[in-house]
Amino acid sequence: MSTAPSPPVQGAALRQGRLGRLRRFEPATLIWLLAAAALLFLVATPLVRLLISSLQTTDSGTFTLGNYASAYGRLRNLEALGNSLLYALEVTIMSAAMAVPIAWGVSRTDMPAKGLIRALILGAFITPPYLGAIGWILLAGPNAGWLNRIFMAVTGSHTGFIDVYSFGVLSLVTALYAFPYIFVFTSDALDRVSSEMEEAANILGAGSFYTIFRITLPLVTPAILGGAIVVFLDTVALFGTPAVIALPARIRIMTLELWQYFEFPVRAEVAAAYAIPLIGITLALFWAQRAILGRKSYVALTGKGGSRTLTPLGRWRWLVLGYALLVVSLAVIFPYAALAKAAFSKAWGLGFTLGNITLDNFERLLSEEGARDTIVHSFTYSAAAGCVAVALALLVAYVVNRRLMPGGNLLTLLCMAPLVIPGIVLGIGFYAAFAAPPVALYGTAAILILGYSTRFLPIAYVNCAASLQSLNPEMEEAVRILGGSRLRAISRVIVPVLKKSLLGTWLLVFIPATRELSTAIFLVGAKTRVISVMMLDLSENGSFEILAALGFFLLGATILIVLLGYKIIGRDFMLRRS
Amino acid sequence: MKAILRWGAPLLMTVGLLAAVPAAMAQTDHEKQLYEAAKKEGGQITWYSGVLNQQICDDVGKAFSAKYPGLSVHTIKTTSQVAFQRLLQDLKAGDALSDIFTTTDESHMAYLVSKDLLLHYVPENEKGFSKVLRGIDPKGYYHVSWVGIVALIYNKNKVSAADAPKDWPDLTNAKWKNQIGFGSPNYSGLIGVWSVGMEQRYKWDFFEKLNKLNPLIGRSVDDPITTLNSGERMVAPGNPASAFRSAARGNPLAVNYPTSGTLFDPSPSAILKGSHHPNTAKLFMEFLAGPEYSKILAKNFEQPLRDDVPPPPGAKSLSDMKAFTVKLPDIEKELPKVKEKWRDTFGM
Repeated sequence: MSTAPSPPVQGAALRQGRLGRLRRFEPATLIWLLAAAALLFLVATPLVRLLISSLQTTDSGTFTLGNYASAYGRLRNLEALGNSLLYALEVTIMSAAMAVPIAWGVSRTDMPAKGLIRALILGAFITPPYLGAIGWILLAGPNAGWLNRIFMAVTGSHTGFIDVYSFGVLSLVTALYAFPYIFVFTSDALDRVSSEMEEAANILGAGSFYTIFRITLPLVTPAILGGAIVVFLDTVALFGTPAVIALPARIRIMTLELWQYFEFPVRAEVAAAYAIPLIGITLALFWAQRAILGRKSYVALTGKGGSRTLTPLGRWRWLVLGYALLVVSLAVIFPYAALAKAAFSKAWGLGFTLGNITLDNFERLLSEEGARDTIVHSFTYSAAAGCVAVALALLVAYVVNRRLMPGGNLLTLLCMAPLVIPGIVLGIGFYAAFAAPPVALYGTAAILILGYSTRFLPIAYVNCAASLQSLNPEMEEAVRILGGSRLRAISRVIVPVLKKSLLGTWLLVFIPATRELSTAIFLVGAKTRVISVMMLDLSENGSFEILAALGFFLLGATILIVLLGYKIIGRDFMLRRS
Repeated sequence: MKAILRWGAPLLMTVGLLAAVPAAMAQTDHEKQLYEAAKKEGGQITWYSGVLNQQICDDVGKAFSAKYPGLSVHTIKTTSQVAFQRLLQDLKAGDALSDIFTTTDESHMAYLVSKDLLLHYVPENEKGFSKVLRGIDPKGYYHVSWVGIVALIYNKNKVSAADAPKDWPDLTNAKWKNQIGFGSPNYSGLIGVWSVGMEQRYKWDFFEKLNKLNPLIGRSVDDPITTLNSGERMVAPGNPASAFRSAARGNPLAVNYPTSGTLFDPSPSAILKGSHHPNTAKLFMEFLAGPEYSKILAKNFEQPLRDDVPPPPGAKSLSDMKAFTVKLPDIEKELPKVKEKWRDTFGM
């Protein structure tokens, strides 16, 4: 390996060595350097801007540590940070409990209705947190929530059985819209695990459960952990759901406390100081991941190919399907049934009557030219961001995983940092770094695409890194031995083998990008409006009917895109035996 | 004769219409001068708006272009907090990318004035404003473009008009236990002004009493629109404009203007000193103070700024509602204390 210490050599030999290295210089090296430079530009510039502003006074801009003292010198802020970490932990555990069994069911068993489950899970994912939270308030509001009213009608009780305004339900509702991260990561990884090892375990007398917990799941630990890390970081930075649920529940959450610095008296510098140290959480998770994964190998796919057979579950397959249906019902079917009251009525406060049902909200949404443009913008910018993030993440993950450049840890940290910084703070950093000269992207589509790509780069990176860990380098080595370049190895071996996983990764960037609000609102221009900002407008305007209709439209569009995407990408190559 | 009648009537009508259009779009001499100067500036200004919504802002821009052909407005509607941060970053980078800034938070303007970043301009049309809205900035740098109003809103399917709260202290009645909701001064500037106003009138005791009723506390002044419609809550202090807009669709919301007086909070606009189109910007400030803009506001259920434009159906004019407000120095002095007390009382 290139990092091996070189033995002491004479001058001539050294020169020859250098020459030799130069001769072996591949054009690909230039691409690694470019990828690293792109990373510095996209991530480091806005973060450094934030760091600098966190060290400046509000008025004169002179150096100070006062912002950090204001942010962390208050018990209230520390308590909020503690609550946020606890909240993120709960959400992560709940998400894993939802995602892993369903992923196993979809990828490795003969569970029925897989396509539907997959599409609904991604449908849950596109639901803006604000809308999902409102859907749950309609379901579990203590006074008028449907579930509570049904409960009271059936039992004759005067109080409901579930209160949306509580820590537990806050975590549950958040998990319902975050678990798709772990689901996609895990199911993609499970798709790549060949059945040979499971079969070996079975031949040696291991039962099905023993095989699942000792063979199958351990092999996909990097993917589960990666997904869990993304959920954790994403939840720490989340504003939408806490704003709707935690605030009325009177639970102090860091992102809510952060907001006060943007109200009178405005002190954005203190907000930056409050947010910057959160990168430390990323670092801590990163170390924890290493400690858990250790030096074990997670290679699931080798040059010998491999195939997988689906575990026949017999009657149990209905149990697995039942669990999957329960989760998607909680995430999509129930809340959207509650939101339907708004989306399909003229005045949602009137309830269901025949005269109140209408499709006007959809018509108004799609007939207005501005609204149409806005939807198209969101979809195209997010799609482009998905491509940029996946390409960059794959290159960097490859460089780090195959140790092609020194400083891999730093590259990883850079790739992972943007997710944990709350959007409103990161938005200022992006705006400062990209809108003004010399970059001068003010008001362009490019600034939104760069913003989305950077914000969601961690998701793409985590999944690419986990995928590469499951790939034995021997296939690329075969390409190299036969005279192919590294780039050829990537384009002809890695990309085709990982295509399904890359599509999943792309979706995991595309979908959150369409619903991203807090950085987008800093980057939109008069001609580059996006859906999330329109939704904020509708919600502030009290036009809840049209807002709900927009939610339904997004759900439908996503399900179509997902079904189409998996159709285009074709049959799973490892399923040829089934 | 018949032919004359057949052709004459439409002709007369057309002539009448042509005469009427310029009448509605009449320009004062001052506006004409500004228009001539503005035409030489390139014709387009950028408006950072923290008020209204994108669609209404766009309508305002279109009406401006219709009155002054060749001139146009690029609106970037965000929230006041975001608009202010974008503005500060633009100025930090050395160029005002916007010409006009409108915010719900008057303290943003006070800051910009103190840093000498605004262009001094007093629109002539401000003379037509309702009295309470004239000259909110004694120095004349910024001027009202929107008024946030806090009145009493209720769900009329659940609360009869007779039972509904008529004045602020009625909110503390024990019958509203678990049935009241409002925003928070820590997240909404308008609720911030309202809470200072309530403390000045009724002392902090008012909020202690409210807390005993287990209120549902959201962020914005408009949160109650959602919670009242869903039936989760019945009464709330809230913005009549949003309630009227929702009620116009058929939703069961009704508004009571408190008998002792309704709180209003002026949201100002100003011209940036670094504006590259100062004359167009001045003309736009005249437009925002003129009758066409107030008509657009009324059409969208917002409070018109001028007495010569009637309020939307069901709403009261500023003078009829006994409007009162809290002045900026009082807000700046009292709001931080109120926010602290709020956290002590409500825990958030």
